Amino acid sequence: MGFGSVDELEDALLGEAYLPQRGLSTALYLSLVIGKPLLLEGEAGVGKTELAKSLARASGARLIRLQCYEGLDVSHAVYEWNYARQLLHIRAAQEGTVDEGELFGPEFLIRRPLLEAIATDEPAVLLIDEIDRADDEFEAFLLEVLSDFQITIPEIGTITAKRRPAVILTSNRTRELHDALKRRCLFHWITHPSLEREIEIVRLRVPGVPERLAAATAAFVAGLRDLDLAKAPGVAETIDWTQALVALGCEELDATVVEQTLGAVLKHHEDLEMLRDETMLALLGQARAAAA
Amino acid sequence: MSEALTRHIVTFGRVLREAGMEVGPGRVSDALRGLDHLDITSQEDVYWALRTTFVARREDLATFDRAFDVWFLRRAGRAAPPREADPRTMHKSARRIRRDPQMGREAAPAEGEPDSIGHSAHEVLREKDFASMTPEEFAAARRLIAQLAVRRPTRRSHRLRRDHRGRILDMRALARDAIATGGDPIRRSYRRRAETPRKLVVLCDVSGSMEAYSRALLLYLHAILRLGRGAEVFAFGTRLTRLTRELQTRDPDLALERAARRVVDWAAGTRIGASLKEYNDVWGRRALTRGAIVLIASDGWERDDHELVGREMERLHRAAYAVVWVNPVKGSPDYQPLAAGMRAALPSIDRFVAGHNLASLEALGALLAGIERRHDG
Repeated sequence: MGFGSVDELEDALLGEAYLPQRGLSTALYLSLVIGKPLLLEGEAGVGKTELAKSLARASGARLIRLQCYEGLDVSHAVYEWNYARQLLHIRAAQEGTVDEGELFGPEFLIRRPLLEAIATDEPAVLLIDEIDRADDEFEAFLLEVLSDFQITIPEIGTITAKRRPAVILTSNRTRELHDALKRRCLFHWITHPSLEREIEIVRLRVPGVPERLAAATAAFVAGLRDLDLAKAPGVAETIDWTQALVALGCEELDATVVEQTLGAVLKHHEDLEMLRDETMLALLGQARAAAA
Repeated sequence: MSEALTRHIVTFGRVLREAGMEVGPGRVSDALRGLDHLDITSQEDVYWALRTTFVARREDLATFDRAFDVWFLRRAGRAAPPREADPRTMHKSARRIRRDPQMGREAAPAEGEPDSIGHSAHEVLREKDFASMTPEEFAAARRLIAQLAVRRPTRRSHRLRRDHRGRILDMRALARDAIATGGDPIRRSYRRRAETPRKLVVLCDVSGSMEAYSRALLLYLHAILRLGRGAEVFAFGTRLTRLTRELQTRDPDLALERAARRVVDWAAGTRIGASLKEYNDVWGRRALTRGAIVLIASDGWERDDHELVGREMERLHRAAYAVVWVNPVKGSPDYQPLAAGMRAALPSIDRFVAGHNLASLEALGALLAGIERRHDG
């Protein structure tokens, strides 16, 4: 992926309406030039997954996404055989003429994301999302793939990547990852952006948003993050909320509108309860002052 | 890159290692390769490049920042290095970056007569309260503790294993077997879901009132951790400390020593509510509690806010698979949950057990292995 410098990469991402912090763009740039996967951690909604999508668009590469979950295994992550085709093939052939080698050949192979990312000829961005949800066995398997960029299928042989995909892993830290896996990655911790930056992000992401509204929502959400909430909202929530407000034709934040739309920002009952009346009004006052 | 800079980076890697971070040669070479691609006159870019290559976990970010300040910016204050960069003196200052280790107090119960322990004494030892054991008795008990941890509770995994009593068709075996029968799936193989250890989260009170018991419990937990992954151990007194890494050392004495060094408030006061809140806020939010068995070991003496204990226990209980509370004081026959913190916690506890001697730890092991959701305590 041809980016000559960190600034060039930043510009390209900006072109896809992604506004990275300097640390993140440096980490991503190094991951691309060194050819090592980038492991991103941080609160939910700070833009971990979005970065991979934006990188794919910015570099004209294909995004191949592997969503991890507990119990994810080789047949869902790497490859699977097309059993229905195999059975039909046996039936169609003369009895006794089918041998096993034929049945487990490339034409019966279904490529899952990891194999697809290794085998494809096009430039690709491989997003391994929420790796912490997969279990240890899968992580160990991933180690092999990420160090050599090759996959061995017993019946066919070893497939090596002709051009290495850019790899981004995300984790929400529901558990600690293996050190061995971390050793193979560059690491970056994404934080919530500063208020000014969040306003910029909102304006970039929600075209046509009134400037004062963008400033007020960003300031309101920043205020929410200082409260003791069960789940602090991320930038993703700020964007969702602002979109909702724009769709409703709001020009400014007021108490009624906030009450009606707060569900776009806070997703826990306790958090909504906590934001009744005076807390909400206080936050609203701050937000409007910041936007003025 | 100049040789001087290379040496500077390599030494910086060593400084980080001395400060307690895991920095292998791979990371150093990544850092060097990374800097080759950047404008090294930009201090910001150099900082980010070194950070993304040297740091692998969030906990190390602060250590890295301090070391970076000292090593590259020569910022005085915390630990000013000498201007002539002699690596040996540098390492000393790196050591100062690390938090001062604070050794835990030795639990040396004063009561009781020392006696030698033979086989016949085992039964006596089994029933003896940890608090009234002599050091010799405790030494004998600790060997038994390791044997108590035998089984972890399990849950069904999504992973499939071949099993003739299973109900899910093994398509791969089926296709292979169908060659012999001309494509007719006559022989069918099945798979079923495997069992994997259920997550276990332990919150162990190490405040002064628990001192005699927390050592025994930590030894027990050390043995539990050796049974496999998916267990997390935290200690709390006035604050919460994660001990999983420290306890993963093979040797129990070393593990305990490391744990003691990590916990800064060993044998101090208790703030159960605040500690639970810290756990819920940081770890619960990362969904560590979800589906886990949560084991809390504490006598329930809350210093300040028992309402907070009740609230945080409710939060914990909602996400957990089951909550087990081990209270060593419960071992005494006339025990009543009078401690306000304990009373506040009771409604959110599925199982309430003692943990004052070997026999009760053994019972705890059996309970954990067989626990199901929402038992009445």
